[in-house]
Amino acid sequence: MFRMIRRAVRAILRQRKIESDLDEELQFHLDMQAKEYERRGMSAQEARSATLRTFGGVHQIKEQVRDLRGVGLIEVFRQDLRFGLRTLRKSPGFTLVAILALGLGIGANTAIFSVINGVMLRPLPYERGDRIVQIRQQRPLANQNNVPFSVQEVEDYRTQNHTLSGVVEYHAMWFILLGREEPERVQTGVVSHNFFHVLGIKPLLGRTFRPEDEQHEADAVLVLSYGYWQRAFGGNPNVVGQAFQMNDRPHTVIGVLPQIPQYPDENDVYMPTSACPFRSEDKFIANRTARMMQVFGRISDGETVQSVQQDLDTIAGRLQQDHPEVYPATTGYTAAVIPLEAALTSSIKPMLSMLIFTAGFVLLIVCASIANLTIARLLRREREITIRAAMGASRVRIVRQLITESITLSVIGGVAGLIFAAASMNMLTRFAARYTARAVEISMDARVLVFTFVVSLLTGALFGLLPALQSRRNLARSLRDAGGRTVSRSRHRVRSVLIVAQIAVSFVLLIGAGLMMRSLFKLEAINPGFNLHNVLTMRIALNFSKYNTSEKRLDFAQRILSDFEQLPGVTSAGANGTFPLNEEAPGSLRLVVEGRPMPEGGFSQAPLVDLHFVSPRYFETLGMQVLNGRGFSNTDGIDATSVVVVNESLARRYFPDDDATGQRLTLDRGATWASVVGVVADVKQQLQADVPDTIYVPLFQRPILLTMQVLLRTTGDPKLIAPAVREALYKNDPEQPVDNFRTLDEVRAEVLAPPRLTAALLVVFACLALVITAAGIAGVIGFSVSERSHEIGIRMALGARRGAVLWMILRQGTLLIGAGLAAGIVGGLGFSQVMQGLLFQVQPNDLLTFLAVSLVLAIIGAAACILPARRATTVDPTMALRSEP
Amino acid sequence: MTKPNLDLLQGTLDMLILKTLALQPMHGWGISQRIQQISQDVLVVNQGSLYPALVRLEEKGLIESEWGVSENNRRAKYYSLTRSGKKQLNEETETWERMTTAVQKILQTS
Repeated sequence: MFRMIRRAVRAILRQRKIESDLDEELQFHLDMQAKEYERRGMSAQEARSATLRTFGGVHQIKEQVRDLRGVGLIEVFRQDLRFGLRTLRKSPGFTLVAILALGLGIGANTAIFSVINGVMLRPLPYERGDRIVQIRQQRPLANQNNVPFSVQEVEDYRTQNHTLSGVVEYHAMWFILLGREEPERVQTGVVSHNFFHVLGIKPLLGRTFRPEDEQHEADAVLVLSYGYWQRAFGGNPNVVGQAFQMNDRPHTVIGVLPQIPQYPDENDVYMPTSACPFRSEDKFIANRTARMMQVFGRISDGETVQSVQQDLDTIAGRLQQDHPEVYPATTGYTAAVIPLEAALTSSIKPMLSMLIFTAGFVLLIVCASIANLTIARLLRREREITIRAAMGASRVRIVRQLITESITLSVIGGVAGLIFAAASMNMLTRFAARYTARAVEISMDARVLVFTFVVSLLTGALFGLLPALQSRRNLARSLRDAGGRTVSRSRHRVRSVLIVAQIAVSFVLLIGAGLMMRSLFKLEAINPGFNLHNVLTMRIALNFSKYNTSEKRLDFAQRILSDFEQLPGVTSAGANGTFPLNEEAPGSLRLVVEGRPMPEGGFSQAPLVDLHFVSPRYFETLGMQVLNGRGFSNTDGIDATSVVVVNESLARRYFPDDDATGQRLTLDRGATWASVVGVVADVKQQLQADVPDTIYVPLFQRPILLTMQVLLRTTGDPKLIAPAVREALYKNDPEQPVDNFRTLDEVRAEVLAPPRLTAALLVVFACLALVITAAGIAGVIGFSVSERSHEIGIRMALGARRGAVLWMILRQGTLLIGAGLAAGIVGGLGFSQVMQGLLFQVQPNDLLTFLAVSLVLAIIGAAACILPARRATTVDPTMALRSEP
Repeated sequence: MTKPNLDLLQGTLDMLILKTLALQPMHGWGISQRIQQISQDVLVVNQGSLYPALVRLEEKGLIESEWGVSENNRRAKYYSLTRSGKKQLNEETETWERMTTAVQKILQTS
């Protein structure tokens, strides 16, 4: 086998040389022979012809030598290819349909595989990315598995471990960057000086941090992320060396990162820990429980994840002994090591495995359907093949020819697939970006091309081999039955099995799509409890060094909200730390009601409720109804009586019998008490979750927010007033950034985008499968009608009614569809279990979906049968009988 | 050309080619001439079998070829025996001798 391949390869490479060598060698022989004859006394002319006579066929010798050299294989392949292409050209309809179906099938697989390749198979683009781990502090007994680190703790793990070659910290902040045209809120990663070194990231421009950059009081420096560099500076390399004002001091850009997935967050800029005004405070550094950092490390050579884990266990044990008050035994305390690769892709994995399954199913259906078409074509080509066999073509030769034809088809389909995949790449990348930072790595690289090529070959082999092996069992018999009436019983069986399989797989895909649609409809139908339309949202992140007292923050908030309300087209303005459906999580509070007994275990065991800080007109802006009592007003100021508003859920749960208004609860562990002055209607904080119990506090009474989300209700298109809003803000403070302008409708659309896209993909796949299957059913029934036209003619001549003939044909189709549905239900029940995690308020064995899908398939299947079956009833008995040979 | 001559079986031709090449490297024409000559025209090598046989032996690695210059100053392809070709020749000669002796014995006794 190996030698054959080597020979074939050599033959391809050296075919011309082999040919010319052989020509020369034979010519030499002929000349010598002729000379010999001349020596014996023949004339030159006689000698030449005598030579050719004795020598025999030069061409036969060449042909034999070619075969031996392996050239023959190539030649045969060429012939087959040429012949195959000619046959395909002769039936353009079949060819076009097949290439299109293959293109879609292979394209879907290629596209999904590109995503899998980009986010899961490729090594992290960090140097030896498989050695990078995240370290997490955990309190298993308190159900907390990712507790942030304090500076002290980072230091302990850094100095005490023996298995990590670097331990670095990270935390995310936002700061205001001044010096560009507009003040800007930049997402900032605050990191150890060797963060990029340990992750193995080399800068694209300039340098990353050095130990001296992290010294106390060092000059502040910045490294830009690739995305921010492109976005804010248009990729200008001269930005390195420029200084920008942040936190009241100049920060110099020293480098730019390459285009890599950033983890844990997509940041605009990075700075060393010494430049972060919070992280560098002495009090913060000294406090073992001031936790906000994440910790990463690189496994030393020769160590494993297991040995690192043991090492961490030792350190955690030691910490627990040394500081029992910080790490109480009641919550438990451990440290866990998690490979970064796993941490990066854990949320996209279930989605991708479902999609590749689906795409694979679609391709299988395509295969089955083209195999079926091919069998039908082979029956029509019976005569051609029979003649070739009669002329001495071996069975192997004929099968090889048929497979070459199929593979030619599938490779062309593969090229079409690559085009489809390339066209969908953009959409898929954006889809993946919702789940993993690695989406930026998705591209159609060499591995994807190889995958597509291999899939194409396998596809071609699969749909080619089946019909090819079916062909020509018995030459004599097929010559005898030249009419092709009786030979095809076994082929019918194969075709029927293929159709049943197609129906079953289509059923499974339809179930997937149906469940996803049901789930999506449920999501879309959720009433969030407020009016989404005509509301503009924005984020105003206050410069904390400027607005450093409650009074300043209150003054600013009051001023801008009243200025915004003056804008034409704005009917009301409200502010909150977050808002419904926003990704920003609200604060939380332990609920303790005055006059009721403390829960056992004290304050820390009291139930947790959501806590919002809202401006007076917030409820009105969102369109939230005040059900009882009142909302907030401008008189609920800093010096006024403490008041709160609760939502309906909280009122119902904690004050089921009494009026909630008038009750008092504490916001400060029982030091003071705030009166409930009103109850508002429930609104969804997250679309898919239940409404949490919520307390609203007047922002103007406790102006503690550093980041305000401002909402404006407008009369017209909310997007149009954004420029005026910006202008009004800069009039108050030209250095105050505002960003993230979105309408509430857009916010909701963003939440719904992933389920919408998943549902759309599944529906497209399922429809594709349905169309192909319907065509397949119509093909099989149609073929059997034309095959049985003789029989039908006899039946009708003998007096069979059209209805009876129609039913006879339909019964065949009904049996196929019934069998397919039965198999599909079994498969569907299995597949839907896999999808469970992706569904919202829909059971995987949802009866309605299964019924609807069965009905759809049955109707489509019946429709696909009826067209060809009707043709059967139009058979003219005399014609049918006469046409028989 | 009326002398009776014998067509050679494939395996026999291979052996004769190897034997001929064991003496010295030679081109295709030379091989056919040499076999005919030594067998005193009893054995005639059919060119239609000679060249495929040469290719087959080369593919098996028993002989190797090289372009050289012939007696009359023309480019010609010279074949020579490889190490495994030598081994093969020895084995085949031995088998051949054992077989012919056996056949002879049978013919003599009858």
